[in-house]
Amino acid sequence: MTMVHAPLPAAKTESSSASVAGRPRGLSLAKARPWFLLAPGLFILATLMLWPLVQVFLFSLQDYGLREINTGEQNWIGLENYAKALSDPQLWTVVLPNTVGFAAVAVFATVAVGTLVALLLARLGTVWRTIVSSCIMVAWAMPAVTGTYVWTFIFDADRGVFNQVLQNLGLMDESYNWFTNQWSFYAIVLLNVVHHGFPFVAITVSTIWDFKVFAQVYLMPGGNGGNRSVLNLGVWSYVESFGQNKYGFGAALAVLLTLVLIGITIVYIRSLMKEDEL
Amino acid sequence: MNPRRSIMSRAGTGIAVAAVLIFTLFPVYWMVSSALDKKASSGGQSLLPQEFTLDNFAFVLTDGGFGTFLRNSAIVALVTVLVSAVVCLLAAVAVARFRFRFRTTILMLILVVQMVPLEALVIPLFLQVKSLGLLNSILGLMVVYVALSLAFGIWMLRGFVAAVPVELEEAAYIDGASWWRMFRSILLPLVMPGLVATSIFSFITAWNEFIFAMTILGSATDQYTVSIGLKSFFGLHSNDWGSIMAASTIITIPVMIFFVIVQRRLSAGMVAGAVKG
Repeated sequence: MTMVHAPLPAAKTESSSASVAGRPRGLSLAKARPWFLLAPGLFILATLMLWPLVQVFLFSLQDYGLREINTGEQNWIGLENYAKALSDPQLWTVVLPNTVGFAAVAVFATVAVGTLVALLLARLGTVWRTIVSSCIMVAWAMPAVTGTYVWTFIFDADRGVFNQVLQNLGLMDESYNWFTNQWSFYAIVLLNVVHHGFPFVAITVSTIWDFKVFAQVYLMPGGNGGNRSVLNLGVWSYVESFGQNKYGFGAALAVLLTLVLIGITIVYIRSLMKEDEL
Repeated sequence: MNPRRSIMSRAGTGIAVAAVLIFTLFPVYWMVSSALDKKASSGGQSLLPQEFTLDNFAFVLTDGGFGTFLRNSAIVALVTVLVSAVVCLLAAVAVARFRFRFRTTILMLILVVQMVPLEALVIPLFLQVKSLGLLNSILGLMVVYVALSLAFGIWMLRGFVAAVPVELEEAAYIDGASWWRMFRSILLPLVMPGLVATSIFSFITAWNEFIFAMTILGSATDQYTVSIGLKSFFGLHSNDWGSIMAASTIITIPVMIFFVIVQRRLSAGMVAGAVKG
Protein backbone atom coordinates (compact mmCIF):
# COMPACT_ATOMS: atom_id res chain seq x y z
CA MET A 1 0.00 0.00 0.00
CA THR A 2 1.22 3.43 -0.77
CA MET A 3 0.84 6.50 1.28
CA VAL A 4 1.40 10.15 0.67
CA HIS A 5 2.65 12.64 3.13
CA ALA A 6 0.21 15.25 4.19
CA PRO A 7 0.24 17.78 6.96
CA LEU A 8 -2.10 17.16 9.83
CA PRO A 9 -5.01 19.48 9.27
CA ALA A 10 -6.30 21.81 11.86
CA ALA A 11 -9.99 21.15 12.19
CA LYS A 12 -11.67 24.13 10.66
CA THR A 13 -14.43 24.23 13.16
CA GLU A 14 -15.02 23.89 16.82
CA SER A 15 -17.48 21.21 15.73
CA SER A 16 -21.16 21.56 15.21
CA SER A 17 -21.66 21.62 18.94
CA ALA A 18 -22.12 25.39 18.66
CA SER A 19 -25.57 24.89 17.23
CA VAL A 20 -26.74 22.74 20.07
CA ALA A 21 -24.88 24.56 22.84
CA GLY A 22 -27.07 25.78 25.64
CA ARG A 23 -28.87 22.49 25.98
CA PRO A 24 -26.92 20.41 28.49
CA ARG A 25 -27.96 17.08 26.98
CA GLY A 26 -27.15 18.24 23.47
CA LEU A 27 -23.73 19.40 24.57
CA SER A 28 -22.73 16.09 26.12
CA LEU A 29 -24.10 14.22 23.13
CA ALA A 30 -22.03 16.43 20.86
CA LYS A 31 -18.97 15.66 22.97
CA ALA A 32 -19.51 11.94 22.77
CA ARG A 33 -20.41 11.98 19.09
CA PRO A 34 -16.86 11.77 17.66
CA TRP A 35 -16.25 8.73 19.85
CA PHE A 36 -19.42 7.04 18.59
CA LEU A 37 -18.27 7.71 15.05
CA LEU A 38 -14.75 6.47 15.75
CA ALA A 39 -15.77 3.41 17.74
CA PRO A 40 -16.04 0.82 14.93
CA GLY A 41 -12.82 1.96 13.25
CA LEU A 42 -10.85 2.16 16.47
CA PHE A 43 -12.13 -1.22 17.57
CA ILE A 44 -10.98 -2.86 14.34
CA LEU A 45 -7.61 -1.08 14.32
CA ALA A 46 -7.01 -1.93 17.97
CA THR A 47 -7.89 -5.62 17.73
CA LEU A 48 -6.51 -6.38 14.28
CA MET A 49 -3.52 -4.03 13.99
CA LEU A 50 -2.33 -2.79 17.38
CA TRP A 51 -2.92 -5.84 19.55
CA PRO A 52 -1.22 -8.09 16.96
CA LEU A 53 1.77 -5.75 17.06
CA VAL A 54 1.98 -6.26 20.81
CA GLN A 55 1.47 -9.98 20.32
CA VAL A 56 4.23 -10.34 17.75
CA PHE A 57 6.58 -8.72 20.25
CA LEU A 58 5.41 -11.08 23.02
CA PHE A 59 5.85 -14.10 20.72
CA SER A 60 9.36 -12.94 19.93
CA LEU A 61 10.28 -13.42 23.61
CA GLN A 62 9.08 -17.01 23.63
CA ASP A 63 9.99 -20.35 22.18
CA TYR A 64 6.70 -20.45 20.30
CA GLY A 65 6.08 -23.46 18.08
CA LEU A 66 3.38 -25.96 17.21
CA ARG A 67 3.38 -27.43 20.72
CA GLU A 68 2.76 -24.02 22.30
CA ILE A 69 0.01 -23.22 19.78
CA ASN A 70 -1.79 -26.47 20.49
CA THR A 71 -1.40 -26.56 24.26
CA GLY A 72 -1.51 -22.83 24.96
CA GLU A 73 1.62 -23.16 27.10
CA GLN A 74 4.04 -20.29 27.37
CA ASN A 75 7.74 -20.79 27.20
CA TRP A 76 9.49 -17.49 27.86
CA ILE A 77 13.11 -17.34 26.80
CA GLY A 78 13.85 -13.62 27.04
CA LEU A 79 15.92 -12.18 24.20
CA GLU A 80 17.25 -15.52 22.99
CA ASN A 81 15.49 -15.27 19.59
CA TYR A 82 17.02 -11.84 19.03
CA ALA A 83 20.46 -13.07 20.09
CA LYS A 84 20.14 -15.94 17.63
CA ALA A 85 19.06 -13.62 14.81
CA LEU A 86 21.66 -10.95 15.47
CA SER A 87 24.51 -13.45 15.76
CA ASP A 88 23.62 -15.10 12.46
CA PRO A 89 26.23 -13.89 9.95
CA GLN A 90 23.65 -14.32 7.20
CA LEU A 91 21.67 -11.42 8.71
CA TRP A 92 24.51 -8.93 8.24
CA THR A 93 25.97 -10.16 4.96
CA VAL A 94 22.81 -11.02 3.03
CA VAL A 95 19.48 -10.32 4.67
CA LEU A 96 19.91 -6.73 5.83
CA PRO A 97 21.52 -5.53 2.58
CA ASN A 98 18.70 -7.20 0.66
CA THR A 99 16.14 -5.51 2.90
CA VAL A 100 17.53 -2.05 3.64
CA GLY A 101 19.56 -1.55 0.47
CA PHE A 102 16.73 -2.64 -1.71
CA ALA A 103 14.15 -0.50 0.10
CA ALA A 104 16.32 2.59 -0.29
CA VAL A 105 17.01 1.99 -3.98
CA ALA A 106 13.42 1.04 -4.77
CA VAL A 107 11.92 4.09 -3.11
CA PHE A 108 14.43 6.42 -4.73
CA ALA A 109 13.86 4.89 -8.17
CA THR A 110 10.08 4.89 -7.83
CA VAL A 111 9.93 8.52 -6.76
CA ALA A 112 12.46 9.57 -9.41
CA VAL A 113 10.66 7.82 -12.27
CA GLY A 114 7.26 8.97 -11.01
CA THR A 115 8.36 12.58 -10.75
CA LEU A 116 9.97 12.57 -14.20
CA VAL A 117 6.80 11.12 -15.71
CA ALA A 118 4.72 13.73 -13.89
CA LEU A 119 6.90 16.46 -15.43
CA LEU A 120 6.49 14.82 -18.82
CA LEU A 121 2.70 14.66 -18.43
CA ALA A 122 2.61 18.37 -17.68
CA ARG A 123 4.31 19.13 -21.03
CA LEU A 124 1.93 17.09 -23.13
CA GLY A 125 -1.24 18.20 -24.90
CA THR A 126 -4.61 16.86 -23.83
CA VAL A 127 -4.75 13.92 -26.20
CA TRP A 128 -1.29 12.57 -25.44
CA ARG A 129 -1.69 13.23 -21.77
CA THR A 130 -4.83 11.10 -21.75
CA ILE A 131 -3.10 8.33 -23.67
CA VAL A 132 -0.02 8.28 -21.47
CA SER A 133 -1.94 8.49 -18.21
CA SER A 134 -4.23 5.67 -19.33
CA CYS A 135 -1.16 3.51 -19.93
CA ILE A 136 0.16 4.48 -16.50
CA MET A 137 -3.15 3.40 -15.00
CA VAL A 138 -2.80 0.07 -16.78
CA ALA A 139 0.61 -0.50 -15.21
CA TRP A 140 -0.72 0.44 -11.82
CA ALA A 141 -3.66 -1.93 -12.11
CA MET A 142 -1.39 -4.92 -12.53
CA PRO A 143 -1.51 -6.89 -9.28
CA ALA A 144 1.82 -7.66 -7.62
CA VAL A 145 1.33 -11.41 -8.04
CA THR A 146 0.54 -11.13 -11.75
CA GLY A 147 3.31 -8.64 -12.34
CA THR A 148 5.80 -10.93 -10.64
CA TYR A 149 4.92 -13.88 -12.85
CA VAL A 150 5.04 -11.74 -16.00
CA TRP A 151 8.52 -10.40 -15.15
CA THR A 152 9.60 -13.92 -14.20
CA PHE A 153 8.44 -15.13 -17.61
CA ILE A 154 10.18 -12.26 -19.42
CA PHE A 155 13.49 -13.12 -17.71
CA ASP A 156 13.05 -16.90 -17.68
CA ALA A 157 16.30 -18.69 -18.53
CA ASP A 158 14.96 -20.96 -21.28
CA ARG A 159 11.76 -19.36 -22.52
CA GLY A 160 12.21 -15.74 -21.54
CA VAL A 161 12.07 -13.09 -24.25
CA PHE A 162 14.94 -11.17 -22.63
CA ASN A 163 17.43 -13.99 -23.11
CA GLN A 164 16.10 -14.66 -26.61
CA VAL A 165 16.56 -11.06 -27.70
CA LEU A 166 20.09 -10.95 -26.26
CA GLN A 167 20.96 -14.17 -28.07
CA ASN A 168 19.43 -13.02 -31.36
CA LEU A 169 21.42 -9.82 -31.15
CA GLY A 170 24.54 -11.91 -30.62
CA LEU A 171 25.23 -10.35 -27.22
CA MET A 172 25.05 -13.67 -25.42
CA ASP A 173 25.90 -17.24 -26.38
CA GLU A 174 24.09 -19.34 -23.83
CA SER A 175 20.95 -18.54 -21.91
CA TYR A 176 21.66 -17.22 -18.48
CA ASN A 177 19.61 -17.77 -15.32
CA TRP A 178 19.11 -14.24 -13.98
CA PHE A 179 17.41 -15.45 -10.80
CA THR A 180 20.37 -17.16 -9.17
CA ASN A 181 22.51 -14.05 -8.84
CA GLN A 182 21.64 -11.71 -5.99
CA TRP A 183 22.14 -8.54 -8.04
CA SER A 184 20.25 -9.57 -11.14
CA PHE A 185 17.49 -11.06 -8.98
CA TYR A 186 16.96 -7.75 -7.22
CA ALA A 187 17.31 -5.81 -10.46
CA ILE A 188 14.27 -7.72 -11.72
CA VAL A 189 12.43 -7.09 -8.44
CA LEU A 190 13.30 -3.41 -8.86
CA LEU A 191 11.82 -3.31 -12.39
CA ASN A 192 8.68 -4.98 -11.06
CA VAL A 193 8.36 -2.67 -8.06
CA VAL A 194 9.01 0.53 -10.02
CA HIS A 195 6.61 -0.53 -12.78
CA HIS A 196 3.90 -1.06 -10.20
CA GLY A 197 4.76 1.87 -7.92
CA PHE A 198 5.63 4.89 -10.06
CA PRO A 199 2.07 5.56 -11.34
CA PHE A 200 0.94 6.66 -7.89
CA VAL A 201 3.78 9.18 -7.71
CA ALA A 202 3.27 10.38 -11.27
CA ILE A 203 -0.45 10.96 -10.88
CA THR A 204 -0.59 12.48 -7.43
CA VAL A 205 2.78 14.29 -7.79
CA SER A 206 3.57 13.22 -4.27
CA THR A 207 5.91 10.85 -2.58
CA ILE A 208 5.54 7.39 -1.11
CA TRP A 209 6.17 5.56 2.09
CA ASP A 210 6.20 2.20 0.53
CA PHE A 211 8.85 -0.28 1.57
CA LYS A 212 6.61 -3.29 1.42
CA VAL A 213 7.87 -6.01 -0.84
CA PHE A 214 6.93 -9.60 -0.15
CA ALA A 215 5.07 -11.25 -3.01
CA GLN A 216 7.48 -9.69 -5.51
CA VAL A 217 10.38 -11.57 -3.90
CA TYR A 218 8.63 -14.65 -2.51
CA LEU A 219 7.10 -15.68 -5.84
CA MET A 220 10.25 -15.35 -7.95
CA PRO A 221 12.36 -18.47 -8.55
CA GLY A 222 14.28 -19.16 -5.33
CA GLY A 223 12.66 -16.20 -3.63
CA ASN A 224 10.74 -18.26 -1.06
CA GLY A 225 13.88 -19.08 0.89
CA GLY A 226 15.20 -21.64 -1.59
CA ASN A 227 18.02 -19.35 -2.66
CA ARG A 228 19.65 -18.04 0.51
CA SER A 229 21.54 -15.27 -1.29
CA VAL A 230 18.32 -13.41 -2.14
CA LEU A 231 16.68 -13.79 1.27
CA ASN A 232 15.22 -10.64 2.86
CA LEU A 233 13.91 -10.09 6.37
CA GLY A 234 10.22 -10.44 5.51
CA VAL A 235 10.65 -13.71 3.64
CA TRP A 236 13.02 -15.07 6.29
CA SER A 237 10.48 -14.30 9.03
CA TYR A 238 7.72 -15.93 7.00
CA VAL A 239 9.57 -19.16 6.19
CA GLU A 240 10.84 -19.56 9.76
CA SER A 241 7.27 -19.13 11.05
CA PHE A 242 5.14 -20.96 8.55
CA GLY A 243 7.74 -23.25 7.02
CA GLN A 244 9.61 -24.34 10.17
CA ASN A 245 6.86 -23.64 12.76
CA LYS A 246 9.35 -21.48 14.67
CA TYR A 247 6.84 -18.72 15.31
CA GLY A 248 8.88 -17.19 18.13
CA PHE A 249 12.02 -16.80 16.03
CA GLY A 250 9.95 -15.64 13.06
CA ALA A 251 8.29 -13.05 15.29
CA ALA A 252 11.69 -11.74 16.40
CA LEU A 253 12.67 -11.31 12.74
CA ALA A 254 9.34 -9.58 12.08
CA VAL A 255 9.98 -7.16 14.95
CA LEU A 256 13.44 -6.42 13.52
CA LEU A 257 11.83 -5.80 10.11
CA THR A 258 9.30 -3.42 11.64
CA LEU A 259 12.04 -1.50 13.45
CA VAL A 260 14.17 -1.30 10.31
CA LEU A 261 11.28 -0.05 8.18
CA ILE A 262 10.17 2.53 10.73
CA GLY A 263 13.79 3.66 11.03
CA ILE A 264 14.05 4.11 7.26
CA THR A 265 10.70 5.90 7.23
CA ILE A 266 11.84 8.41 9.83
CA VAL A 267 15.08 9.15 7.98
CA TYR A 268 13.14 9.40 4.74
CA ILE A 269 10.47 11.74 6.14
CA ARG A 270 13.11 13.94 7.76
CA SER A 271 14.95 14.33 4.48
CA LEU A 272 11.79 15.00 2.50
CA MET A 273 9.46 16.99 4.66
CA LYS A 274 9.89 20.57 5.56
CA GLU A 275 9.67 21.49 9.21
CA ASP A 276 6.31 23.18 8.92
CA GLU A 277 4.74 20.14 7.34
CA LEU A 278 5.24 18.15 10.49
CA MET B 1 12.43 29.52 -27.96
CA ASN B 2 14.04 29.29 -31.40
CA PRO B 3 12.65 26.79 -33.92
CA ARG B 4 15.64 24.44 -33.70
CA ARG B 5 15.42 24.10 -29.96
CA SER B 6 11.70 23.63 -30.24
CA ILE B 7 12.21 20.70 -32.62
CA MET B 8 14.85 19.24 -30.33
CA SER B 9 12.61 19.49 -27.31
CA ARG B 10 9.69 17.99 -29.20
CA ALA B 11 11.89 15.07 -30.20
CA GLY B 12 13.00 14.70 -26.60
CA THR B 13 9.41 14.66 -25.43
CA GLY B 14 8.54 12.11 -28.10
CA ILE B 15 11.36 9.80 -27.05
CA ALA B 16 10.37 10.14 -23.40
CA VAL B 17 6.73 9.34 -24.21
CA ALA B 18 7.81 6.29 -26.20
CA ALA B 19 10.01 5.10 -23.33
CA VAL B 20 7.18 5.48 -20.81
CA LEU B 21 4.73 3.67 -23.08
CA ILE B 22 7.12 0.78 -23.71
CA PHE B 23 7.97 0.42 -20.02
CA THR B 24 4.36 0.50 -18.87
CA LEU B 25 2.81 -1.51 -21.67
CA PHE B 26 5.38 -4.14 -22.62
CA PRO B 27 4.73 -6.46 -19.65
CA VAL B 28 0.99 -6.13 -20.26
CA TYR B 29 1.40 -6.75 -23.99
CA TRP B 30 3.63 -9.73 -23.34
CA MET B 31 1.16 -11.21 -20.87
CA VAL B 32 -1.81 -10.91 -23.24
CA SER B 33 0.00 -11.92 -26.41
CA SER B 34 1.54 -14.98 -24.76
CA ALA B 35 -1.87 -15.98 -23.47
CA LEU B 36 -3.27 -15.84 -27.00
CA ASP B 37 -0.32 -17.52 -28.74
CA LYS B 38 -0.15 -21.29 -29.07
CA LYS B 39 3.64 -21.03 -29.29
CA ALA B 40 3.93 -19.67 -25.76
CA SER B 41 3.00 -23.07 -24.36
CA SER B 42 4.97 -25.16 -26.83
CA GLY B 43 8.06 -22.98 -27.18
CA GLY B 44 9.46 -20.89 -30.04
CA GLN B 45 7.44 -17.78 -29.31
CA SER B 46 8.49 -14.53 -30.94
CA LEU B 47 7.70 -10.88 -30.30
CA LEU B 48 4.58 -10.97 -32.43
CA PRO B 49 1.94 -13.63 -31.79
CA GLN B 50 2.03 -16.43 -34.36
CA GLU B 51 -0.74 -18.95 -33.80
CA PHE B 52 -3.87 -17.46 -32.31
CA THR B 53 -5.68 -19.59 -29.75
CA LEU B 54 -8.23 -19.24 -26.97
CA ASP B 55 -7.44 -22.70 -25.59
CA ASN B 56 -5.38 -21.29 -22.73
CA PHE B 57 -8.31 -19.22 -21.50
CA ALA B 58 -10.71 -22.13 -21.77
CA PHE B 59 -8.32 -24.36 -19.83
CA VAL B 60 -7.70 -21.79 -17.12
CA LEU B 61 -11.39 -21.09 -16.55
CA THR B 62 -12.46 -24.73 -16.44
CA ASP B 63 -9.75 -27.12 -15.20
CA GLY B 64 -7.65 -24.27 -13.84
CA GLY B 65 -10.38 -23.33 -11.36
CA PHE B 66 -10.25 -19.61 -12.07
CA GLY B 67 -14.03 -19.37 -12.28
CA THR B 68 -14.14 -20.19 -8.58
CA PHE B 69 -11.15 -17.98 -7.74
CA LEU B 70 -12.70 -14.98 -9.53
CA ARG B 71 -15.98 -15.49 -7.72
CA ASN B 72 -14.27 -15.76 -4.32
CA SER B 73 -12.19 -12.65 -4.97
CA ALA B 74 -15.26 -10.70 -6.08
CA ILE B 75 -17.12 -11.63 -2.89
CA VAL B 76 -14.16 -10.82 -0.65
CA ALA B 77 -13.51 -7.50 -2.39
CA LEU B 78 -17.14 -6.35 -2.35
CA VAL B 79 -17.65 -7.13 1.33
CA THR B 80 -14.35 -5.42 2.16
CA VAL B 81 -15.34 -2.33 0.16
CA LEU B 82 -18.79 -2.02 1.75
CA VAL B 83 -17.73 -2.55 5.34
CA SER B 84 -14.63 -0.39 5.16
CA ALA B 85 -16.47 2.43 3.34
CA VAL B 86 -18.96 2.77 6.20
CA VAL B 87 -16.37 2.47 8.95
CA CYS B 88 -13.92 4.84 7.24
CA LEU B 89 -16.55 7.49 6.58
CA LEU B 90 -17.71 7.56 10.19
CA ALA B 91 -14.15 7.78 11.49
CA ALA B 92 -13.19 10.40 8.89
CA VAL B 93 -16.10 12.62 9.92
CA ALA B 94 -15.00 12.31 13.53
CA VAL B 95 -11.38 13.36 12.93
CA ALA B 96 -12.15 16.02 10.31
CA ARG B 97 -15.15 17.68 11.90
CA PHE B 98 -14.72 17.40 15.63
CA ARG B 99 -12.10 18.71 18.01
CA PHE B 100 -11.65 16.32 20.89
CA ARG B 101 -9.01 14.98 23.22
CA PHE B 102 -6.57 12.47 21.67
CA ARG B 103 -7.58 13.53 18.15
CA THR B 104 -3.96 14.12 17.12
CA THR B 105 -2.91 10.92 18.88
CA ILE B 106 -5.44 8.97 16.84
CA LEU B 107 -4.25 10.57 13.60
CA MET B 108 -0.64 9.68 14.38
CA LEU B 109 -1.74 6.17 15.27
CA ILE B 110 -3.42 5.78 11.90
CA LEU B 111 -0.22 6.89 10.18
CA VAL B 112 1.95 4.52 12.19
CA VAL B 113 -0.37 1.56 11.57
CA GLN B 114 0.05 2.23 7.86
CA MET B 115 3.80 1.63 8.11
CA VAL B 116 3.65 -1.74 9.81
CA PRO B 117 4.83 -4.46 7.43
CA LEU B 118 2.30 -7.21 6.74
CA GLU B 119 4.95 -9.82 7.54
CA ALA B 120 4.82 -8.63 11.15
CA LEU B 121 1.03 -8.88 11.34
CA VAL B 122 0.67 -12.21 9.60
CA ILE B 123 1.90 -14.35 12.52
CA PRO B 124 -0.46 -13.01 15.23
CA LEU B 125 -3.38 -12.56 12.84
CA PHE B 126 -2.99 -16.11 11.56
CA LEU B 127 -3.24 -17.34 15.16
CA GLN B 128 -6.22 -15.06 15.88
CA VAL B 129 -8.08 -16.23 12.80
CA LYS B 130 -7.21 -19.79 13.73
CA SER B 131 -8.59 -19.39 17.26
CA LEU B 132 -11.79 -17.89 15.80
CA GLY B 133 -12.14 -21.03 13.69
CA LEU B 134 -12.05 -18.99 10.49
CA LEU B 135 -8.97 -20.58 8.97
CA ASN B 136 -9.40 -21.96 5.43
CA SER B 137 -12.32 -19.63 4.74
CA ILE B 138 -12.74 -16.34 2.92
CA LEU B 139 -14.63 -15.02 5.94
CA GLY B 140 -11.39 -14.86 7.91
CA LEU B 141 -9.77 -13.09 4.98
CA MET B 142 -12.52 -10.43 4.80
CA VAL B 143 -12.00 -9.53 8.46
CA VAL B 144 -8.29 -8.99 7.84
CA TYR B 145 -8.81 -6.99 4.63
CA VAL B 146 -11.23 -4.58 6.29
CA ALA B 147 -8.55 -3.91 8.90
CA LEU B 148 -5.85 -3.49 6.24
CA SER B 149 -7.85 -0.95 4.22
CA LEU B 150 -9.03 1.15 7.18
CA ALA B 151 -6.02 3.31 7.96
CA PHE B 152 -5.51 4.49 4.40
CA GLY B 153 -9.25 4.96 3.86
CA ILE B 154 -9.70 7.10 6.96
CA TRP B 155 -6.67 9.17 6.05
CA MET B 156 -7.91 9.80 2.54
CA LEU B 157 -11.57 10.50 3.37
CA ARG B 158 -10.56 12.87 6.14
CA GLY B 159 -9.35 15.30 3.47
CA PHE B 160 -12.65 15.13 1.62
CA VAL B 161 -14.73 15.73 4.71
CA ALA B 162 -12.52 18.64 5.77
CA ALA B 163 -12.96 20.18 2.30
CA VAL B 164 -16.74 20.48 2.68
CA PRO B 165 -17.43 24.06 3.83
CA VAL B 166 -18.66 24.19 7.40
CA GLU B 167 -21.04 26.98 6.35
CA LEU B 168 -23.10 24.43 4.44
CA GLU B 169 -23.52 22.37 7.57
CA GLU B 170 -24.40 25.42 9.63
CA ALA B 171 -26.99 26.46 7.07
CA ALA B 172 -28.60 23.05 7.42
CA TYR B 173 -28.76 23.43 11.19
CA ILE B 174 -30.29 26.90 10.85
CA ASP B 175 -32.95 25.35 8.64
CA GLY B 176 -33.70 23.02 11.53
CA ALA B 177 -32.02 19.87 10.29
CA SER B 178 -30.78 17.30 12.77
CA TRP B 179 -27.15 16.17 12.66
CA TRP B 180 -28.14 12.94 10.98
CA ARG B 181 -30.29 14.79 8.42
CA MET B 182 -27.39 17.14 7.65
CA PHE B 183 -25.06 14.14 7.31
CA ARG B 184 -27.35 12.46 4.79
CA SER B 185 -28.29 15.45 2.66
CA ILE B 186 -25.20 17.67 2.83
CA LEU B 187 -22.07 15.78 3.84
CA LEU B 188 -22.66 12.40 2.21
CA PRO B 189 -23.34 13.68 -1.35
CA LEU B 190 -20.37 16.05 -1.16
CA VAL B 191 -17.86 13.42 -0.03
CA MET B 192 -19.16 10.84 -2.52
CA PRO B 193 -16.18 11.30 -4.91
CA GLY B 194 -13.88 10.60 -1.97
CA LEU B 195 -15.90 7.58 -1.02
CA VAL B 196 -15.61 6.27 -4.57
CA ALA B 197 -11.83 6.77 -4.59
CA THR B 198 -11.46 5.12 -1.18
CA SER B 199 -13.63 2.21 -2.27
CA ILE B 200 -11.47 1.66 -5.32
CA PHE B 201 -8.43 1.52 -3.08
CA SER B 202 -9.93 -1.04 -0.73
CA PHE B 203 -11.14 -3.05 -3.70
CA ILE B 204 -7.60 -3.16 -5.08
CA THR B 205 -6.17 -4.06 -1.67
CA ALA B 206 -8.55 -7.00 -1.38
CA TRP B 207 -8.15 -8.10 -5.01
CA ASN B 208 -4.35 -8.01 -5.02
CA GLU B 209 -3.47 -9.10 -1.48
CA PHE B 210 -1.26 -12.16 -1.34
CA ILE B 211 0.45 -12.97 1.97
CA PHE B 212 -2.74 -13.30 4.05
CA ALA B 213 -4.55 -15.19 1.30
CA MET B 214 -1.69 -17.69 1.21
CA THR B 215 -1.53 -18.02 5.00
CA ILE B 216 -5.20 -18.03 5.95
CA LEU B 217 -6.63 -20.06 3.09
CA GLY B 218 -4.03 -22.81 3.43
CA SER B 219 -4.93 -25.71 1.17
CA ALA B 220 -8.66 -24.94 0.93
CA THR B 221 -8.56 -24.53 -2.85
CA ASP B 222 -12.31 -23.96 -3.16
CA GLN B 223 -11.87 -20.80 -1.07
CA TYR B 224 -8.86 -19.47 -3.01
CA THR B 225 -8.83 -15.89 -4.23
CA VAL B 226 -7.17 -14.95 -7.51
CA SER B 227 -3.71 -14.18 -6.11
CA ILE B 228 -3.21 -17.44 -4.25
CA GLY B 229 -5.10 -19.22 -7.04
CA LEU B 230 -2.48 -18.00 -9.50
CA LYS B 231 0.33 -19.16 -7.24
CA SER B 232 -1.17 -22.62 -6.92
CA PHE B 233 -1.82 -22.78 -10.68
CA PHE B 234 1.82 -21.81 -11.29
CA GLY B 235 2.91 -24.60 -8.98
CA LEU B 236 0.94 -27.17 -10.97
CA HIS B 237 1.77 -25.93 -14.49
CA SER B 238 5.10 -24.20 -14.05
CA ASN B 239 6.28 -24.63 -17.63
CA ASP B 240 2.99 -23.90 -19.35
CA TRP B 241 3.63 -20.18 -19.72
CA GLY B 242 0.74 -19.73 -22.15
CA SER B 243 -1.77 -20.86 -19.53
CA ILE B 244 -0.05 -18.97 -16.72
CA MET B 245 -0.23 -15.78 -18.77
CA ALA B 246 -3.88 -16.50 -19.63
CA ALA B 247 -4.64 -16.87 -15.92
CA SER B 248 -2.75 -13.65 -15.21
CA THR B 249 -4.67 -11.87 -17.97
CA ILE B 250 -8.03 -13.04 -16.67
CA ILE B 251 -7.42 -11.71 -13.18
CA THR B 252 -5.80 -8.47 -14.34
CA ILE B 253 -7.81 -7.20 -17.31
CA PRO B 254 -11.07 -6.51 -15.39
CA VAL B 255 -9.12 -4.35 -12.94
CA MET B 256 -7.30 -2.56 -15.76
CA ILE B 257 -10.46 -1.73 -17.68
CA PHE B 258 -12.06 -0.53 -14.47
CA PHE B 259 -9.05 1.67 -13.68
CA VAL B 260 -8.97 3.28 -17.10
CA ILE B 261 -12.72 4.01 -16.92
CA VAL B 262 -12.56 5.59 -13.48
CA GLN B 263 -9.13 7.15 -13.91
CA ARG B 264 -10.19 10.79 -13.89
CA ARG B 265 -12.31 10.36 -10.80
CA LEU B 266 -9.64 8.25 -9.15
CA SER B 267 -6.74 10.61 -9.71
CA ALA B 268 -8.83 13.62 -8.70
CA GLY B 269 -9.82 11.69 -5.59
CA MET B 270 -6.26 10.79 -4.70
CA VAL B 271 -4.97 14.30 -5.18
CA ALA B 272 -7.82 15.94 -3.27
CA GLY B 273 -7.98 13.39 -0.50
CA ALA B 274 -4.41 12.56 0.13
CA VAL B 275 -2.36 15.65 -0.60
CA LYS B 276 -4.45 18.63 0.31
CA GLY B 277 -5.21 17.18 3.70
